[in-house]
Amino acid sequence: MTVAFYIMAAIAVLGAVMAIALRNVVHAVFSVLLFFSALAGLFILLLAEFIAVVQVLVYIGSVGILMLFAIMLTTKVTGDPTRKLLSRGWAWGGLVSGALLLAFLVPLITQSKSESNSQLSNFNPSVKDLGLTLMDPYFASVGVIALLLTAGLIAAVVAASSASGE
Amino acid sequence: MEITLNHYLILSAVLFTIGLIGALTRRHIIIMLVCLEIMLNAANLNLIAFWHFGPNPILLHGPLFTLFTIAIAATEAALGLALVLAIYRHFKTVDLEQVQDLKE
Repeated sequence: MTVAFYIMAAIAVLGAVMAIALRNVVHAVFSVLLFFSALAGLFILLLAEFIAVVQVLVYIGSVGILMLFAIMLTTKVTGDPTRKLLSRGWAWGGLVSGALLLAFLVPLITQSKSESNSQLSNFNPSVKDLGLTLMDPYFASVGVIALLLTAGLIAAVVAASSASGE
Repeated sequence: MEITLNHYLILSAVLFTIGLIGALTRRHIIIMLVCLEIMLNAANLNLIAFWHFGPNPILLHGPLFTLFTIAIAATEAALGLALVLAIYRHFKTVDLEQVQDLKE
């Protein structure tokens, strides 16, 4: 359990760092797919199997392919060494991110007591329970999400096609 | 050493910060969307970890909220990449520094 957590965490951090550091955009998207799969492994460690399956289906399956198609439809895939990598105010962005990381980490490290006992070993959360909970108290939220997905689909089609129609 | 809630929170904070650094410093527009996805995934990890180590996991709040977050993130990715295509057709570039205003 412990070893698996550290391996998954290392793969996730490596994938995320490679995604923001690589010059070639296609390589960056493939390393973010590595990050997504490591996160699916972490979800399995946390006993959320259905979320892990959804992560693989939605992120690795569709979002990654969508990003690859967007790269293919826009620009040259090979990294141009003359093209600038960083934006103009990159130092300020790094400074703000570092300060935020410090603000996150200081309370986490200085706080000594931590919840380590999980009540999840007492029962086994199944996909059936998740589906029943989704249908009984959260039915309105499911409807709103369905509406949002439909609206997002229509908006994506309109945004991608109207520019070429002119 | 046993893995506690703090381990997951530290990992999630590190991943969120990596995504934030990428979103604030890179100038390629698709890399910026990738960094947004990294940040959303770090938040999802936080939700699942709080549910796992929380006092009442039988209510399944963590997986439900994560399911809704994943649906919203998928919509955001589709719409964002459609906007990338529209911006590329209009400005002929994917460099965010050269996209200064929304109309010409």
